[in-house]
Amino acid sequence: MTGGDVLAILQGAVVTVTLSLTGILIGLPIGLGLAVLRWADVPVIAHIVTVYVSILRATPLVTLLLLLFFALPNIGIAIGPISAAILALVMNTAAFNCEVWRASLLNFPKDQYEAAQSVGMGAALRFRRIVLPQIARASLPGLVNEMSLLIKVTPALAVVGVVDITRAAVRIGAETYDPLPPFLVALALYAPIVFVLVWLQRWIERRQIRVEAAA
Amino acid sequence: MTTCSPARSDLLSRRLVLGLVSVMMAMPVLVASARAGSLDDIKKRGLIVATEDDFRPFEFVKDGKPTGFDNELIEDLRKYAPFEIKQQILPWTGILAGVSTGKYDVAITAAIITKERRQSLDFTSPIADATHHYVKRKDDKSISSIKDLNGKIVGVQAGSALLARLPELGTMLEKEGGKLGKVVEYTSYPEAYQDLAVGRVDYVVNTIINLQTLVAEKPAVFELGQAVSGKSFPAWAVAKGNTELLEFLNGFIAKEKETGRFAELQKKWFGEAFPNLPVSFEPEF
Repeated sequence: MTGGDVLAILQGAVVTVTLSLTGILIGLPIGLGLAVLRWADVPVIAHIVTVYVSILRATPLVTLLLLLFFALPNIGIAIGPISAAILALVMNTAAFNCEVWRASLLNFPKDQYEAAQSVGMGAALRFRRIVLPQIARASLPGLVNEMSLLIKVTPALAVVGVVDITRAAVRIGAETYDPLPPFLVALALYAPIVFVLVWLQRWIERRQIRVEAAA
Repeated sequence: MTTCSPARSDLLSRRLVLGLVSVMMAMPVLVASARAGSLDDIKKRGLIVATEDDFRPFEFVKDGKPTGFDNELIEDLRKYAPFEIKQQILPWTGILAGVSTGKYDVAITAAIITKERRQSLDFTSPIADATHHYVKRKDDKSISSIKDLNGKIVGVQAGSALLARLPELGTMLEKEGGKLGKVVEYTSYPEAYQDLAVGRVDYVVNTIINLQTLVAEKPAVFELGQAVSGKSFPAWAVAKGNTELLEFLNGFIAKEKETGRFAELQKKWFGEAFPNLPVSFEPEF
C-alpha cells in the first residue's frame, strides 16, 4: 500500500462524513416533522406517514437506492449517484428518526401540556418551549444510535458508484491483491468518526445536567 | 391524544399500499419508453460509458485514477468519437442493469457473452479470450489436474458467467467418476482470492486473463490450473436493439485491431495478444 492509496481512503472518508452529515442534518428534522404529524393525528396525512414509515423500515438501503437510481430516470427525473445516495439515506433515516421522536412524544406527560394550555400558550409556543426541549433530551440516545448506524450503512451507497471509505479500500485491495492493509486503515477511520458522534452526545447531556442544576 | 378506529386506519393504509404497489407494477411499462439513446441523441448529449472499479487487468483504480485495458481503450475512443465521452465508475452489481435500463449507453468492461445476457443486451466484437481456468494455492499438492477437483470447494463470483458455466466442469468431473464440490459465491474476485489464500476454498474459477495477472502478481501464493470450460469471450455490452451504437463501437474495435493498437494493449495488460478473436460470437451457453 502506497501513500497514494492512503490518500484515496482519506478521500473516501471525506465522502463518508459528508454524505452521513447531510443525511443526518436533513433526516433529523424530517423525522421530527413526521413524528409530530403522526402524534397530532392529522387526518389522512398521519396514515400516509404510518405507511411510509412501515415501508421504509422494511426496505434495505441498497434496494431503495437501486430503485431510486434506476427507476427515477424512467419517469423523467435525472438523478446522479450522489443525489440518489443522499435521497436514499434521508428517506431511510427519516423513517427511523420518526419512530425515535414518536416514542418520546408518546411518553410526554399530558398534564404538562394541559398546564401550558391553561396559562394561554399557543400550540406553536407550547411545542417549542415545553415539548421540544424535553423530547429532544429523551430522544437523544436513540437518535445518536440511529446516526451511528447511518454512518455504518454508507458502504451500501457504493453500488451506484459512490466511493466511500470501504469502496476506496476495496479498490486498493483489487489492485494490490492484498485486501488486508486497506481494510485495516478503513476500520481505523470509522472508529474516530463514530467516536466524535458519541462524544458530542455526552457533551450535550452533560451540558443539560449543568443547566438544570443551575436553574 | 386522540386515536381513530383501527378499521379506518386499516382501510386507508391498504389503499395506499395498493396504490404504491400498482406504481411499482407500472415501472416496467415506463422503462420501455425511456430506452437508451440513439446515435443522434448521443451526439447531442455525449456517450455515457460505465466501467468497473475492481476488475484488474480490465479496469481498476490506481492512485485514484482509472486504468487498465478498457480504460486505455476509452482514451483512444475519446479521440475517435465525434462526441463527448462521459465515464461512470461503479461496481459490477449495477453495471448491466444500468445498461439495460438505459442509465448508461455502454458497459465498457469484460462482460462475458452468454445466452441469458443476450436476451436483454447486445454485445460488441469480443475484446479477449476468456476461457475459464482454475487457480489453486501453490502449496496445495492435492490438485494437479481436473480430476483432482472432485468434491473440492470452489469459489466463484455471484451472478457471473463463470458461475453459470460451472456445470460444464461438473460434466467433465462426472466423466471421471467425480462430482463438483460445494460452490461458494463472492460479490467480487479479490475476496475469493483472499479466501483461497487462507484455505477457505480449494480453487477459484475465473477467466485465463484475470488468473494470469493474479499469478504474475503473487507467484509464491497461487498457481494456474487447466481450462474448465469451452470457448468463452468477453465483450462490451449495449442495450438490446441499439444497433447504431453497436456498429459504431464495432467500427472502433476494428480500427484498433487494424492499427495494431488492440494487440499492443492486450500484450501490455494480459501478457499475450489474441490475434484470432471472432468479429461476432454466438454463445452456446
